[in-house]
Amino acid sequence: MVAWLIWEGTGIWGLNNPVGWGWAIVNFVFWVGIGHAGTLISAILFLFRQKWRTAINRFAEAMTIFAVICALVFPGIHVGRIWAAYWMLPLPNQMGMWPNFRSPLLWDVFAVSTYFTVSLLFWYVGLVPDLATLRDRAKGKIRYYAYGMLSLGWRGANRHWQNYERAYLLLAGLATPLVLSVHTIVSFDFAVSVIPGWHTTIFPPYFVAGAIFSGFAMVMTLAVPSRKIFGLEDFITVRHIENMNKIILVTGTMVGYAYAMEFFIAWYSGSQYESFAFVNRAFGPYAWAYWIMVSCNVITPQFFWFKKMRTNLTVAFILSIFVNIGMWFERFVITMSLHRDFLPSSWDYYRPTMFDISTFVGSFGLFFTLFLLFLKFLPAVAISEVKGVMPQADPHWEGYGHHGEHGEEAAHG
Amino acid sequence: MGHDKQFTDAPKLDAGMADKAFKIAAAVGAVGILASVGLAFSGDEAKHQFFFSWLTAFMWCLTIGLGALFFIIIHHLTRATWSASTRRIAENVAINLPLMAILFIPIAIGLHDLYHWSHEEAVANDPILKWKAGYLNAPFFFVRAAVYFAVWGGLAWFFRSNSVKQDESGDEALSFKMRRLAPVGILTFALSATFAAFDWTMSLDPHWFSTMFGVYTFAGGVVSWFAFGILAIAWLQKSGALKHTITTGNRHDFGKLMFGFIVFWAYVTFSQYYLIWYANIPEETAWFAHRSVEGWSNIGALIIIGHFIVPFWVLLSRHVKRFPLSLNLAAVWMLLMHFVDLYFVIMPTLHHHGLHFHVLDLTTLLGVGGVFVAAFAFRFKKDAAVAHKDPQLLASMRYDNA
Repeated sequence: MVAWLIWEGTGIWGLNNPVGWGWAIVNFVFWVGIGHAGTLISAILFLFRQKWRTAINRFAEAMTIFAVICALVFPGIHVGRIWAAYWMLPLPNQMGMWPNFRSPLLWDVFAVSTYFTVSLLFWYVGLVPDLATLRDRAKGKIRYYAYGMLSLGWRGANRHWQNYERAYLLLAGLATPLVLSVHTIVSFDFAVSVIPGWHTTIFPPYFVAGAIFSGFAMVMTLAVPSRKIFGLEDFITVRHIENMNKIILVTGTMVGYAYAMEFFIAWYSGSQYESFAFVNRAFGPYAWAYWIMVSCNVITPQFFWFKKMRTNLTVAFILSIFVNIGMWFERFVITMSLHRDFLPSSWDYYRPTMFDISTFVGSFGLFFTLFLLFLKFLPAVAISEVKGVMPQADPHWEGYGHHGEHGEEAAHG
Repeated sequence: MGHDKQFTDAPKLDAGMADKAFKIAAAVGAVGILASVGLAFSGDEAKHQFFFSWLTAFMWCLTIGLGALFFIIIHHLTRATWSASTRRIAENVAINLPLMAILFIPIAIGLHDLYHWSHEEAVANDPILKWKAGYLNAPFFFVRAAVYFAVWGGLAWFFRSNSVKQDESGDEALSFKMRRLAPVGILTFALSATFAAFDWTMSLDPHWFSTMFGVYTFAGGVVSWFAFGILAIAWLQKSGALKHTITTGNRHDFGKLMFGFIVFWAYVTFSQYYLIWYANIPEETAWFAHRSVEGWSNIGALIIIGHFIVPFWVLLSRHVKRFPLSLNLAAVWMLLMHFVDLYFVIMPTLHHHGLHFHVLDLTTLLGVGGVFVAAFAFRFKKDAAVAHKDPQLLASMRYDNA
């Protein structure tokens, strides 16, 4: 399908005039957004000294990388001539041709590629001690050499750890602003325009909150089954699930706040185009999508105010699926603001073709293939980091049987 | 890890010290208010100026109070431990919010001077204002103000009174009670603070709108609450109170949070400006156009440098945040910058042609600020300066963030 798409061009997507952006951007934003939770967990929670993060950090970070790869599929196809995709980079050439530096789409190229590079490095640096552990326990020559190469001669020496800790902290510090910048720039793709429903000043933080929201939902979707299948219940505990649900609740409520502000200001602005765009969203031909978005993103997370719901794995899993659906629809709703533009005679309705659908389904296939390969070959839980936060690692640990307040504190730290 | 730490300080601030601060601040406030009111009667132009200056000073104190209320709610919502030792300071700031309702009276009196939309003849000739009249009209404006003050006052009173009750009984059930209200608190807080910002400052230019405006006002308020809190800690410790209870680590965390919210403020402020600049739609750029004329553009530049660039680099350093003098100086600077930021939002409505300082800017600031600080200091006369029977207090003192 994708090959035919590249051969034939994006004309076989359901795009029309006025809907010049369709599922491709929806899926791109969806996948990039999912990536954000991984970086939030691995970098921002690290800087906040949230030690509970260690259990989920590794596979959340892996999820980030795979999600960004999936995201890149869409603009990659959308450029039309994928063999010329490198033209997006500002390479000096004798034709004197440059990309359009004023376009936020180009900033996306820079932001996402930087984000991808730093995330990959961060993930890999974190993996090095664990790869060495795998090397030392490898059965078979090929595995031994493969892990040996990847672990870069790690021997667990004091100097190694010192450099490692410093590099890790620096990469965490670098990754943190990148989380914000990537989705801020993705929001600029829409918000720098003059399209009603796209141009609104709250977009950057609203997109970042939405990205973290959707990403945590995806982490939840992956974590609940994988802890069951691989018997990781003692690593990824109910407390981790509960904490993630709290973040889903917080960011979901922020997204709800942004929806409310958009709606209020659309009316308050007194601009009939703005008002129309929002009334049309809620009651126009795409009302079904709008209400799916609102109910999945704003209403369902509110169940997490209750501890019973937060700690119930089935509820957590089901709600996380709702959030995934809702966040996809959020981007769909935003993009579909296009379908009734300033000129009523050109109004149209966007219908995805089989090529839209199959590319999107394919991106899920790619994502899960990569994720399962990761689970097969690499440690899904950061071994060395989890060791570091066990009570036994505390120099003040008083041995088994002493449930002093210290362990409590470390756990709540 | 400081395991040996116990609560050894006297829970109360020395009554004489609290009284002294109260009297000084009250005197400054009284002189400021009398001078402002006196000047306001000196002519029409001064009267006009008085209301705008008062609104700026009012918003300055109000946003500090809202920042403190936010801090308390988040403390309970997240079951935080580190902030138990400083929560009483926030409670004593937030309990000034009902007082702000009294300080709101001049704004109510000056409605016609401040808000263009409050003139019926202006609305009649302006289709956009006519469209908005369902929201921007005087009766509804006052109803909303009453709701905001009821929400803030109710929350501030609820959290402080239960916390003070705990000083006597040490009953942990009170902590649970406060935690249970926190979710409702944060939701009502977010909406009321947003709409208050829309009503009181954004509607000064009734044609202009920005979905970010509530977040922008909130961010500035939280920065200045942390700045205020840092100075309050310095004052308490200089007066001999809580020297061992509020640790260097606690102050460091205040510094970090102030830093974090400075960055957040810069992010939302930049986004708001940048998106409007890029799209370049006249009805939105008008607001910035008024603020880029000779004089105001310098204030704009000062805000970029003084509210973000300089404090960003200064507060990045760990030493600056842990050393009291440098942290206190940074806090004073941020309070000043927050005032400049509000001045930049409010004052160009009155002086579109350029920056125009007036002595009333200073006298109203001293008046409103003096009353605010006096009321804050007054709270230390009777009740403890720290929630000393809070079950989390020891954890807060032992919390190690070095």
